[in-house]
Amino acid sequence: MNASFLKLSRELRAIWMLLLVSVILFIATPLFLTGPNLLNVLLASSVTVLLASGQTFVILLGEIDLSVGAVLALSGTTTAIVLQSQPLAVGLAAGLGVGALGGLINGLLVTKLRMPSFIATLASTSAFAGLALFITQGNPVGVKNAGFLAIGQGRPLTVPMPVWIILIVVAAFGFLLARTRFGRYIYATGDNPEASRLSGIKVHRTTILAFVISGVLASLAGFVLTARLGTAQPTAGNGLELAAIAAVIIGGTSLAGGRGALIGTFIGAILLGVIDNGLNLLDVSPFLQGVVKGLVILFAVFLDRNSDLIRGLWQLVRPARKQATPTRNIDDGPANGSPDPQVPTPSIVIRK
Amino acid sequence: MIIELRDIRKSFSGTEVLSGINLAVKGGEVVALVGENGAGKSTLTRIISGAHAPDGGSIVIDGAEVDLKHPQDAMDLGIHVIYQEFLHNIFPQLTVAENLFTLDKSAEFGRLFVNKKKMSRQARTVMETIGLHADPNALAQTLSVAELQMLEIVKSLGHNIRMLILDEPTAALDEQESERLFEQVASLRGAGICVVYISHRLEEVFRISDRVVVLRNGKVALEGRTEQLTERDVVSAMVGREVDDFYPKERHTRDEVVLSVRGAGSGDRFSDIDLEVHAGEVLGIGGVFGCGKGDVLRALFGLLPLTGGEVFLAGQRLPVTNPQGAIAAGIAYITPDRQAEGLCLQQSVSDNISLASLHSFSPTGLMQRRPEMTSTEEVISGLRIRTPSPGTDVGHLSGGNQQKVLFGRWVLTKPKLLLMEEPTRGVDIGAKTEIYRIINEQAAQGVAVILVSSDLPELVAMSDRVVVMRQGGLVAELRGADLNQQKLLEHALESSV
Repeated sequence: MNASFLKLSRELRAIWMLLLVSVILFIATPLFLTGPNLLNVLLASSVTVLLASGQTFVILLGEIDLSVGAVLALSGTTTAIVLQSQPLAVGLAAGLGVGALGGLINGLLVTKLRMPSFIATLASTSAFAGLALFITQGNPVGVKNAGFLAIGQGRPLTVPMPVWIILIVVAAFGFLLARTRFGRYIYATGDNPEASRLSGIKVHRTTILAFVISGVLASLAGFVLTARLGTAQPTAGNGLELAAIAAVIIGGTSLAGGRGALIGTFIGAILLGVIDNGLNLLDVSPFLQGVVKGLVILFAVFLDRNSDLIRGLWQLVRPARKQATPTRNIDDGPANGSPDPQVPTPSIVIRK
Repeated sequence: MIIELRDIRKSFSGTEVLSGINLAVKGGEVVALVGENGAGKSTLTRIISGAHAPDGGSIVIDGAEVDLKHPQDAMDLGIHVIYQEFLHNIFPQLTVAENLFTLDKSAEFGRLFVNKKKMSRQARTVMETIGLHADPNALAQTLSVAELQMLEIVKSLGHNIRMLILDEPTAALDEQESERLFEQVASLRGAGICVVYISHRLEEVFRISDRVVVLRNGKVALEGRTEQLTERDVVSAMVGREVDDFYPKERHTRDEVVLSVRGAGSGDRFSDIDLEVHAGEVLGIGGVFGCGKGDVLRALFGLLPLTGGEVFLAGQRLPVTNPQGAIAAGIAYITPDRQAEGLCLQQSVSDNISLASLHSFSPTGLMQRRPEMTSTEEVISGLRIRTPSPGTDVGHLSGGNQQKVLFGRWVLTKPKLLLMEEPTRGVDIGAKTEIYRIINEQAAQGVAVILVSSDLPELVAMSDRVVVMRQGGLVAELRGADLNQQKLLEHALESSV
């Protein structure tokens, strides 16, 4: 082993956590590492992956979208109601339209009305969730449309449709972030909105689009959930936004904006799915599962925030092996020796 | 009390800011510390006050070496600093009295509940001692800047003060307020306190100091009794002999007019501004803080609305209303604060350089990374930006290299008109020269440059022509033999003839 693995970019650090949990589960139960179970994990994570992917765009801007759960419920119920009388395409368009409109409203509140996104989306959550209850009168809405149900229950090439959907979404939106001008706008705006504005970036438009993406992916998540269950529940989205935000943070995206990647979010969401799956396999009481999940989230974020400490400990436990080569501590920063102002040098290494 | 600094050294990011400072200050003495921007005054201040630890050397107080790890250590020894940015130390929403007694360590005003009456009574008493007549129960934000500065001084007086460092204390004060401050300095000296007075204003220095210490490039360049020195001695020590080569000015002015501004105004910020800038010319705009010189640049870049007048760029009448329009028209603006409104510190050098030119690298919306890489690498080598790789985060670079990245961003847009405000603020001397070289190169290519700088020697040396602004209006144009610091100051300051 060599210390270079610790250099893994922060977006991919969640992989170590994912491997750790997987190894533990592999040892603990033979049921974990089987093809069907792994597909099951992906399937169960699909809603979180979709919500978290949209959330990533918003968090990269240093904003937050608490309304994704409510948008999911509103678009799921809207689609279910429309499908009672209309063909599939109309139902999907209605659902996606609801998501886009919800995101647009959030974006406008944050940019044009200059509301903090936490408050704006907290308020819109309440409104969207209320609308979902109102249009359904609080009752679940059944869906009979076979084409729609295939979104959740189809298995092309034996892989469940939601898994295909999340793979395509992560690839497409990951590409959007990493390889397009719009992606650059997102990172630059999240890092320094004023500098971005002065460089000719339309900061408001970028922010609004990010919220729209979040809304649209939330409605896509609404389709998946509704189609899997066969009914649209007006309260289906309750609490889902928290899992989505947790997945983004575990995936290494900075809450302050400007740093992160969609692949990290994907890994973060899968990690949460693996934990859920493992707790079920190990027959942990459902009442305790929340506690375990909370601890794992804390630990993942602790690893991320204290990577310097971990590196320092790493240096401490294996001082003898690499003394021969006068290794430059990787914390020494770039080759010209200029220190990184963001990352404080780990005192634990120096004082040793 | 005698405080001695012995061979103090300090480097940041490999750049030596202080290279062996020896200095002694004793009680009842006012020592003026002068030097150009970047000479090391602030760093020295921060070392004395415990905010920075020196890399080498020692601080000796009354014969005993002290180790100042923390500002609180210095305060416990009676060393206090009133920083130029002292407003950061004020709690605007608390009352004057509460600001004064924030740290009530001995629980003088009660352990659990605060005796506000007693506190405000005592606040009034201490404030009276230095002639500050403010209502102790008023919110701090209702006080004037001068009053707040006095409040800071009162605050330090409360703590067994032995040494007071004043960093550019008159920067925000008018003449009358400055007079009051000088009286305070005199009475502090009378009380046996060491006063270190940092100022750019030589007339103040000669008026109130007993001794002058000039810093240049992190060393003591001159030290002497004030009455034995002349202003000329001090200035030549500040600037150093290499003053001529330090500004590698080249002349590239061509006939063709790039920018012409007629009767431009923007609200009450500035009005009736006429400017003409030729290709290859560097036009300086001088004037004191608040005269509107920066606002003219912001208006030209579309950040402030023009409420009157016309702007022509290369013969075309411009309605520039936002930065996108300005960039499209061929205008670039190097902002004065590179961290707050210039760079995206967590993004790579390369991404920062291409930020204002993204459209040319992504005609379809997809980034074409190879041409982008080629162009940004050209800029990095052309401007001699020292970075481990184009992918390094800009935040990891030194201030001078960060500034060059900002230049790189705008050079890459191939502007016709390059606006720059404080282009060398907070940049070390080596990087300064390189930035001047970049300005020369741009001018040589026929770019029209407008330079706004509060660094007078720089403004005078690097401009082909300087216009002076005062209270939002143009008051003079200086060129040739008339273009010198003295003339510029005379026009910039209202009170002068």
